[in-house]
Amino acid sequence: MKRLLLILMVLLTQASFSQTLTDGLMMPKDNLCTGFVYAHDQWKEYWEGELKRDNGNIGKLTTQSLLWMGNYGITNKLNIIAMLPYVKTQASAGTLQGMQGIQDISVGVKYNFLGAKFEKSAFNTFGVFNFSTPLNNYTPDFYPLSLGAHTTNLSYRLTAHYKLEQGWFANVSAGYTWRSNTELDRPSYYDGNDFYNSREVKMPDVFDVFGSIGYQKDGLQAELNYMQQNTLGGADIRRQDMPFVSNRMNYIKAGALIMYYPAKIKSLALRGAVAYTVTGRNVGQSTTYLAGVLYTFQFSKNQ
Amino acid sequence: MKRIYKSIFLTTSLSLFVVFSCNKDIDFTEELKPLTPANLDANAENWEPIDATVLTLDKIIAIVETSTPKVFNPPAAITSDAYKAELTAIKDAQRNLTSEQMKIIEYWSGGGVLRWNQILRELVARFNLPPAPKADGTYPAPDAENPFADPNFPFANPPYSARAYSYVSVAQYEALKAAWHYMYLYNRPSPSKNDPEIKSLVPETDLPSYPSHDAVLSGVSVEMLKLLFPAAIEEITLRAADQRNAALWSGKASSSDISAGLALGKSVANQFITRARGDGMGAALGTKPQWQALADTAIKHGEIPWISLETPMRPPMLPFFGLRKTGVSNGVKAWRMTTQDIIDQRPTPPPSTSSAEMKAEVEEVKYYANYLTRDRLSIVHKWADGVGTYTPPGHWNDIAAEYIRDANYSEVRAARAFALLNMALHDAAVACWDTKYFYFNPRPAQLDASIKTGTGIPNFPAFTSGHSTFSGSAATVLSYLFPQHEDYFQAEATEASLSRLYGAIHYRTDVEVGLVHGQTVGGFTVSFALTDGADD
Repeated sequence: MKRLLLILMVLLTQASFSQTLTDGLMMPKDNLCTGFVYAHDQWKEYWEGELKRDNGNIGKLTTQSLLWMGNYGITNKLNIIAMLPYVKTQASAGTLQGMQGIQDISVGVKYNFLGAKFEKSAFNTFGVFNFSTPLNNYTPDFYPLSLGAHTTNLSYRLTAHYKLEQGWFANVSAGYTWRSNTELDRPSYYDGNDFYNSREVKMPDVFDVFGSIGYQKDGLQAELNYMQQNTLGGADIRRQDMPFVSNRMNYIKAGALIMYYPAKIKSLALRGAVAYTVTGRNVGQSTTYLAGVLYTFQFSKNQ
Repeated sequence: MKRIYKSIFLTTSLSLFVVFSCNKDIDFTEELKPLTPANLDANAENWEPIDATVLTLDKIIAIVETSTPKVFNPPAAITSDAYKAELTAIKDAQRNLTSEQMKIIEYWSGGGVLRWNQILRELVARFNLPPAPKADGTYPAPDAENPFADPNFPFANPPYSARAYSYVSVAQYEALKAAWHYMYLYNRPSPSKNDPEIKSLVPETDLPSYPSHDAVLSGVSVEMLKLLFPAAIEEITLRAADQRNAALWSGKASSSDISAGLALGKSVANQFITRARGDGMGAALGTKPQWQALADTAIKHGEIPWISLETPMRPPMLPFFGLRKTGVSNGVKAWRMTTQDIIDQRPTPPPSTSSAEMKAEVEEVKYYANYLTRDRLSIVHKWADGVGTYTPPGHWNDIAAEYIRDANYSEVRAARAFALLNMALHDAAVACWDTKYFYFNPRPAQLDASIKTGTGIPNFPAFTSGHSTFSGSAATVLSYLFPQHEDYFQAEATEASLSRLYGAIHYRTDVEVGLVHGQTVGGFTVSFALTDGADD
């Protein structure tokens, strides 16, 4: 038993740069991992409903974001994760203005509620509860250039993580996001199905699945991942219509991620990732590049 | 310790879930209380006809009585067996009303004119989609003979929809005036008054019921909408049938009241359909050489001609909808303005595209583009009324509907209010489109490509602003109808007008001149309204 505990502790130490809500890693007690991630997302083609097309009045749609994030270990089994992005959108063609500004603050609690330790592997499950809300009154009525949907979201997520002593791991996570309704600046709208004499738009909830397999040991984490999002309702973009905030936005993305911990600076982590939209509905076929720098502070006296 | 965290986690999750998991559903329709008219307007048959060349009271009487067979016959006596059988049928229906049927009664009790106006706004929003470009970079034109194809017919853009709102409203108004004539001629009371066993499920009035004015409205609306939105035929006919059923189920009308009303409504619609088929709309699109001629004329006058800023370039929107120019275009008929009126009221030219004034105007637009504050963006989006919306004429119908509802008008007076409003909006579309294609003036982003806009840039020339002209005309008519709210209507019109400058798609001259032009156009309708006999 003691030995198993030891293995688990080793695993936990190596996993001390966990940052995301979907992974199976935890920050140890009294550690704060914080830093910035820059993301560059671009698409030229998009799905109008299920029809793939480009649009001469949009050209390439680029979304850049700078994300601050922090992950604090309240205990080894309970983490708080916060994020705040600044987002900038731009279209390369047409006359529509790009938008920019602080988007939604997100605060989540991640709890490692169940773990089983075997001789040469460990299995852990996590529950995540996340809250996000806009910090800025950006418009949700300017897709594809809006910064977001301007909704308050509550997410519930379960994650399972299995890791071998040699460093190989597999991770599966599924989340359900409840979204508040959003509000437009205009007194009526047609959402693609129905006409409403209201500013308020009913927002469908979202279900997502995340899976990854990879290797994580000795200052290196590398993974291949799969991301799927399904919006549970909403209409398709009609032929030659503008996208609308409550559209059924679905996608499947495939990606890769590398985290590197330089041996000389123990607390530093560099992160790089890429994701490609394999298929979608009412979303752009985007390629996303991410680069991040994260640093871990240890507040505990006995470490 | 562990347990404490666990319980904190669970309780916060659960409590937040409870707080936020309220019902997200939104009510579709404007709330309408059951109609209780303050005045039945028994003399409405005497109100002036909108267009005496299309329909007068004498003309509809001649049509009703000289057609073979007659459009409808005088009603049977209420003591007749035939009528008694009709009453029995209503009683049977009332005994077995489902909750679905009760909902239909409740929906239509808010007033047929207001409901059809809502339905029309929804149809416009749904059909307000420009055709998608083909692979070769050209655009297919919607085809009235094949309305279900891609692109659907119609593309309910602002001029198309202004015309549609006006035809539906005017035809409804004339049909109701004809109905009023016959209702007071025959004075047949409603079924609930003829038989105490028939419940009145809507507020009772003293309106005679032969022919049923609800059925008149359903008949005239369905025929006009079939012409204007043929691809929506299924939904339109179902809605119209609901309206007639509601009249029957609620004890307002018997089956003979309804069939007479339906026939009368259709007869009136036919007169306006004939007008619509010959009003010039068929020539509004024009041809490629005609579009080129517009550009050539501008060049000949030393001006930079408008070009489409879409990729691929899209043909200009309905260039001959308004243009009055000898040998070039006659434009679509207006309601209250003659061709000479339109030419006389056409604004004087905007600053030359090569002038210092124009340069200063471009600079001002650029300022608004570069400093698009959130407050200004919200004004831009409030009034954008672009693709997929009910258009600016629809927005003014939306505004008007609230005041018409609160005024407790009779159906015929409500129809008059919408007819006045929509004639002015149609004439504004005609007069503005005349001005736009007479000058063929470029948009700010054409003269300075660095100008980025806060809403989609419409695909037609800049001078003058359509939103401003529409809003000026609508506010003028609404100020006549509801003078106590004049300040509000004028403030809304000014805001709508300025929203186009804030959104960086119009120069200040476009919006200021357009607003005044619109007020002038609205004045023509108000002049008619002041002497039509309805205010006597």
